[in-house]
Amino acid sequence: MWERAVAALLLPVALVGFPDHQKKLNTVRNTGANANTLPASGTSTHRSRCLSDGRSLEKLPVHIGLLVAEEEPSYSDIANLVVWCVAVGISYVSVYDNHGIFRKNNSRLLEEIERRQQKFLGGDGSKHNVEFLSNGTDKHHNVVSCRPTVKVLSPEDGKQSIVQAAQQLCRSVESKERSSKDISVTMLDILLRESKNIPDPELVVKFGSVNSTLGFLPWHIRLTEFISLPSHRNLSYEDLLGALQRYSACQQRLGQ
Amino acid sequence: MSWIKEGELNLIEKISANVLKAGPMPKHVAFIMDGNRRFARRNNIERQEGHTQGFNKLAETLRWCKHLSIPEVTVYAFSIENFKRTKDEVDGLMELARQKFERLLEERDNLEKHGVCIRVLGDLNMLPHDLQQLIAKAVITTKSHNKCFLNVCFAYTSRYEITNAVREMAWGVEQGLIKSSDVSEPLLSECLYSNNSPNPDLLIRTSGEVRLSDFLLWQTSHSCLVFQSVLWPEYSFWNLCEAVLQYQLSHKSIQKARDLHREHQASLQLEADRVCVAEHLQHHGNGKPADVQRRQEALQHYTTCRQERVQDFLKALKHKRDSYFTDLCSDGVQA
Repeated sequence: MWERAVAALLLPVALVGFPDHQKKLNTVRNTGANANTLPASGTSTHRSRCLSDGRSLEKLPVHIGLLVAEEEPSYSDIANLVVWCVAVGISYVSVYDNHGIFRKNNSRLLEEIERRQQKFLGGDGSKHNVEFLSNGTDKHHNVVSCRPTVKVLSPEDGKQSIVQAAQQLCRSVESKERSSKDISVTMLDILLRESKNIPDPELVVKFGSVNSTLGFLPWHIRLTEFISLPSHRNLSYEDLLGALQRYSACQQRLGQ
Repeated sequence: MSWIKEGELNLIEKISANVLKAGPMPKHVAFIMDGNRRFARRNNIERQEGHTQGFNKLAETLRWCKHLSIPEVTVYAFSIENFKRTKDEVDGLMELARQKFERLLEERDNLEKHGVCIRVLGDLNMLPHDLQQLIAKAVITTKSHNKCFLNVCFAYTSRYEITNAVREMAWGVEQGLIKSSDVSEPLLSECLYSNNSPNPDLLIRTSGEVRLSDFLLWQTSHSCLVFQSVLWPEYSFWNLCEAVLQYQLSHKSIQKARDLHREHQASLQLEADRVCVAEHLQHHGNGKPADVQRRQEALQHYTTCRQERVQDFLKALKHKRDSYFTDLCSDGVQA
């Protein structure tokens, strides 16, 4: 009852939560852009289109986080998004949900991604395989490698990882290897990246109407831009491109 | 200009407030008050004046929060990154802070009347010594007030805060107060500068930027985030209502996520305690595997001891932090 009253009162006031992309999406669709989803039998023209779209942007994130804040994720839609991100030239794509569903079902997700990659790239898919990282440590993963990386994240990569690093530092203090005074931001940062070298995401695209990061990598998101889309279901390449265009236009003053 | 703005809401503001208050309300709201400089440019006034107007807007916002029964507000006043600005601007901001804290001390009776408790969070030893002393006086003067709480983040970033919390726990280990196995998510939270406050329910950033800029990253992991394009000095009661409405719309889902996280955290703690107990029994046992009852008793005993250790450590930490402020104040007296 009170919800209706509030809505009625504040209707003239524009609702602004996470800046909503809806209006922008509709404009893109109506200007005669290509069909919503790229044809399943992808050919190199579509891949090169993605590449040129990526190159035409002033900046691309090195790491894009796909934060699914919706119940019951759609593996096919997420796989599409991952494949498009990689095609556009983003080298590190992470997928997150706060229930850890993607982590529990990471083989299913990997299958979907591989399937879509095959369709999207046609015959020469094998040359462009992504490196798929899920559980455990990826100590030897070098972010600067030429293979794009897809990483499945869950809440344990957030606060829990920070706590584990803290425990490690406290153990070294216990064994008199170092003093508490030695502990610095740089030290903690390096330690966090030792076992799981996750680069800070420049951009997180959040799907769903819940306005929260829901535990996504607290340490890593200090300068992350957040763009919100209503849902990941039936999302088109144009929708993703719109978000990337918005990101490329933003400026950071970095405190200055 | 005063920290406290008196005055009631007008009729339509009152009606809206009452409608909002019929639903779930945030108990703690955090603000990234962004946009002072852009506001100054747009209105052809001095940058410093933009910051001054920004401060006035803070006082007004506190009044609105009071009328909306929001008892706690945290604001991002000065980031460690802001030290990178020109010397002129940094000096200007330090001078503004001096004026404001001096003014605060002048208004101490008014603050007592309204029950306002001021806390300042950050790596305060990065600030000029005289400003640290003023801050210490302000904090100590308002310490016992408990009607509403204003936390000012000054010389603050979240990464420094988290690192400091880790350092404090390491200090606790050095002092023999806690073990490294006592380190946990709740314990880290208790070591943050914000440990006297519940996590913010709602975080608002003005001026259209859509990032957190190293502010309360740990504490806002399950908060409602609202980004608004209005520049901070132009913030209105209606902007605040919009944000609260967003909070109400996201409330159920966020609550669910918070509960899920808390349950998971509790089971992690239980598991960690079990592992410690198992190790202990192995080392001190007589070689035979302990029966279920013995293990259960040992677990209960271990958990109780751990909790006591942690309480003693937190008391020592509180004492250390309080001493920092009282020492600064007595410095001032002697000077």
